[in-house]
Amino acid sequence: MASFGRFLAKRVLQGLVVIFGVITVLFLLRYITPGSPVDFIAPLDASQATRERIADSLGLNEPLYVQYADYVVSLLQGDMGYSYRSGTAVRPRVFAKLPATLELAVVATFVAIAISIPLGVVSATRRHTVPDYVATLFSLLGISTPNFWLGVMLVVVLAVQFGFFPTSSRPVGLLDALGNLVVIAGPERGWALPLRVDPFLSDMQNWLLHIVLPAITLGTYFTALITRLTRSGMLDQLGRGYVRAARAKGLPETLVRYRHALRNTLIPVITVVGLQLGTLIGGAVITEAVFDWPGLGSLVIDAINNRDWPLIQGCLVVIGAGFVIVNIVVDALYAKLNPQVMD
Amino acid sequence: MARDLLRVENLSTRFFTGEGQVNAVESVNFDVREGEILGIVGESGSGKSVTALSLVDLVESPGRITAGQVWLRNPDLAEEFPEAADGSFVDLRELPNGVRRSLRGPTFSMIFQDPMSSFNPSITVGEQIAEAVEVQRRATANPRSTRSRTQGYGLASYLVDGLAPGRDYTDEASHERAVELLEQVGIPDPAERADEYPHEFSGGMLQRAMIAQALAGEPDLLVADEPTTALDVTIQAQILELLREIQTERDMSIVLITHDLGVIARMCDRVGVMYAGEIVERGTLEDVFDDPIHPYTQGLIGSIPDLDDPAPRLQPIEGNVPSLLDSEMGERCYFANRCPKAMQECLQPPGEREAGGEEHAARCVLVDREYDELDALPDNYFGSGGERG
Amino acid sequence: MPLLDDLLGVLLRGLSGVLSPRTIRNLRSELRSSVLAKIGIVLIVVVLLMATFAPLVAPWNPTSQNTSEAREPPLGFSRVENQTTQQTVDGEVQIINEQVQVNATAAHPLGTDGLGRDMLSRVIYGARTSLLVGLLGTMLAMVIGVPVGLVSGYYKGRVDDTLMRIADVSLAFPSLVLAIALVGLFGQASVPVPDPFVTFGVAEVIRGAMSLPGGLTYPTGMPETFTLPGTVIVVVGVVNWVWFARVARGEALGVREEEYVKAAKSIGGSDGFIIRRHVLPNSLTPILVLGTIQVAAIVLLESALSFLGFSGTTLSWGFDIAQGRQYQTTAWWIAAMPGLAIVFTVIGINLVGDWLRDALDPGIEGEGGGV
Repeated sequence: MASFGRFLAKRVLQGLVVIFGVITVLFLLRYITPGSPVDFIAPLDASQATRERIADSLGLNEPLYVQYADYVVSLLQGDMGYSYRSGTAVRPRVFAKLPATLELAVVATFVAIAISIPLGVVSATRRHTVPDYVATLFSLLGISTPNFWLGVMLVVVLAVQFGFFPTSSRPVGLLDALGNLVVIAGPERGWALPLRVDPFLSDMQNWLLHIVLPAITLGTYFTALITRLTRSGMLDQLGRGYVRAARAKGLPETLVRYRHALRNTLIPVITVVGLQLGTLIGGAVITEAVFDWPGLGSLVIDAINNRDWPLIQGCLVVIGAGFVIVNIVVDALYAKLNPQVMD
Repeated sequence: MARDLLRVENLSTRFFTGEGQVNAVESVNFDVREGEILGIVGESGSGKSVTALSLVDLVESPGRITAGQVWLRNPDLAEEFPEAADGSFVDLRELPNGVRRSLRGPTFSMIFQDPMSSFNPSITVGEQIAEAVEVQRRATANPRSTRSRTQGYGLASYLVDGLAPGRDYTDEASHERAVELLEQVGIPDPAERADEYPHEFSGGMLQRAMIAQALAGEPDLLVADEPTTALDVTIQAQILELLREIQTERDMSIVLITHDLGVIARMCDRVGVMYAGEIVERGTLEDVFDDPIHPYTQGLIGSIPDLDDPAPRLQPIEGNVPSLLDSEMGERCYFANRCPKAMQECLQPPGEREAGGEEHAARCVLVDREYDELDALPDNYFGSGGERG
Repeated sequence: MPLLDDLLGVLLRGLSGVLSPRTIRNLRSELRSSVLAKIGIVLIVVVLLMATFAPLVAPWNPTSQNTSEAREPPLGFSRVENQTTQQTVDGEVQIINEQVQVNATAAHPLGTDGLGRDMLSRVIYGARTSLLVGLLGTMLAMVIGVPVGLVSGYYKGRVDDTLMRIADVSLAFPSLVLAIALVGLFGQASVPVPDPFVTFGVAEVIRGAMSLPGGLTYPTGMPETFTLPGTVIVVVGVVNWVWFARVARGEALGVREEEYVKAAKSIGGSDGFIIRRHVLPNSLTPILVLGTIQVAAIVLLESALSFLGFSGTTLSWGFDIAQGRQYQTTAWWIAAMPGLAIVFTVIGINLVGDWLRDALDPGIEGEGGGV
């Protein structure tokens, strides 16, 4: 049986290949799509000479492989080029927006898993009771509702009608809020850590209020999906021979359910979750659009509308890389649960 | 003569399904003595597996035990639960659920037909056996409390163990014991094999492992449901040998369920023959094999090919196993439609009748009288189709 | 419901050329026992009818604007708005602010949008966009993905490795993001398709003969062409082919080891023949189940694309939701109605998908297990 370390190394290597593929595809995509960035940058009445000059300055007249090599080399050095539209460096912009998207994704995923697995288990073990019907109905609705519509409706009802939550935006980030707790003053003033509790509390409250609706919007589909999968998985496992054998040897029911049945249920659930992460990221893009949440999603849409290639590439490379990383983590988790897969 | 360990009286188990009520086990009587091997033999659908499950209280919805008593000899429990007691026996059905379940392991244990599907594929074999050991260990430390078995295993442990199963539940001592057990059932290199997964074991090895697991609580009674059916013939012999060894060593009782008469002949002290949810004949091995009374038993024994006296053709029992749907079962001898000796009397349920000998009994009027052609039921009494030979 | 059972019997018998008799039996028995499956079929049938007969069913032309009737609430609700008017009293110009109540009318049971277009009609026509994109997009993904998957799984080796790397790279892009990128970059080409009912005058005739409550007659003059968002269909197909490829590949990997395939090879069957004749028919079940999941996913994807403005047609549920967002404080129904339509449609598709999965039990790790 292969060791876990070797398995992980193999997956990481595969991941790198994929990221490379992503970069290449993005690069080629630029050349297939109609419209040259020059059209966006040059003034409408620019002369041919001016356009040539612009194209030159953007490096568009070099042979294809040269441009490709340039791009890859600079990527490896951490340079993602400069936005066509604003001329600012791409990388700082992308990474500045990353935390917002990460917050949203992590909170939504966390809440989704925390709700859905217990819900799925309860639904499976107490069939044909009220909790089961409620869970089933909820999960059916959850996978059938477009998340952007849910977001708009939530805003209409909870924010506009009742005013419980703000309607959009994200004035303060989590790290900013946490930053209130830890302030390292520096060697001159001594490494004192004054805890600014009040600003921390108000910042946290601010952050929480603003993230609730977007997180619900993003997380609902996932919650519903995992609930369904957990429920059907548990039902399947509870009917299997080893469950009966486990009871026969005297294991208490709770152990049978969680240590045995749930464990084997989670295995395929994790696979599907991994496959569906793409949906989560797509959902994040939409949620950001609905709530004016300043993250990568909004950035990438703007970039696409402006044909701002360096920015598009930068965003998509980061999104693709993040996706690959998360998939590797999911695969590792899966291998821990189901060691047969490492052979 | 050894004492009775278990007495089953009038046990009925029914399944309440969408298609109607299924009478899987109907008024079954038998007893198991200490240190003996009782065989229960029958075709598929005769109710033998359900009987086994009923003994260990593993019958799952939509089925449940609807009638009868299961008397277990246990003076301690009899003292503690006098309302369920009769002398030194307690009726398991009258005990509180938790108490009854706590008997799984130290009193009862069960092994199943297909070892590969009886083990959790994602946990090592050693770990699973260690679990069995651990449960018993915790239980003996604190017998009446079921909480003790899950002590130190809170909600967080569930999730963590679900995702990254470690040895949170079991400890080193249990693991060592598990390896010991593996050795006792004849598995070579037990320490290494304990860390392997079920799919890495062969069928025979895994069945041995299942036996090891069943022995963890040092049970008084082992219920073996078709333990060799899924195995090769040579392995079958080994497993049966193993069972016999263990049984002799520990003076354990075994209820051995099988459809294979050869297994019965080889292993059992006494036998019960099941048909359509009833025990149609029971007695010692000699009673049933040498002097079968019930025509079904006669048919079974008669269908064994005899090397010494080879018949030109095998003698099957005509017809098919009857439906166990309550709506389709009438009040008569259930075998009558296939019986070559069916008579007018057989339109009434015959009831169980003692036939002399140690405990030879059969549900058949032939216990008390001879077959008489004049009283025979006509050939197509139960409809056409050549059902009677 | 015996009527439903009969209708389905006819449909299933028609498919019996493709599906085995046992499959059909399983489908029928599962349908008979499952309430949810019946509900799903009813929902789908309703949406299909709405989409097909839109020009006959919709009370108004969904594109005709009428600003005087803008933002009319649906039946049972009313809206209050500030109206500022000028009045000349005794030669002085006075500005009067008053609260005016805008009531719902029976003519627009679901209200109207920002430009006075009837919401009910827009919802009905929107069904066309969603279903067309959903079905055509799924078919395209199937047509691309299934052959690739079958070939990949059947031949294994390097062909398989290469194709699966390509698949991995495609999956590295979340589908929505990729779809946005492709539509955004290649432009939103759309195809105006003449509407058969209107072109042949059928709509005029039928509508002329019907009447609205209140003694009004159906306005005639429904849109003559229907805009098919071509790019979107191609893009969703291209984005989703991988799912079909994976499933087809998995099936091919299994089937190729079966005895009958070896037998066919041994009597000289060519690879193409074997794939067509043996591998494909036995892989149909999970592909069918995946198909339903994909239609639901594509309907949602299309509405998301329209919402973000990457469509090609404005007669789409997603587009209306985006529109409705602008009016989220004043005219909530503009966003709510199309959204509800999407929810019911997707619920219907999902329930039908569950029915197929429960009846056929393909044993795939479907995304979204059975209820």
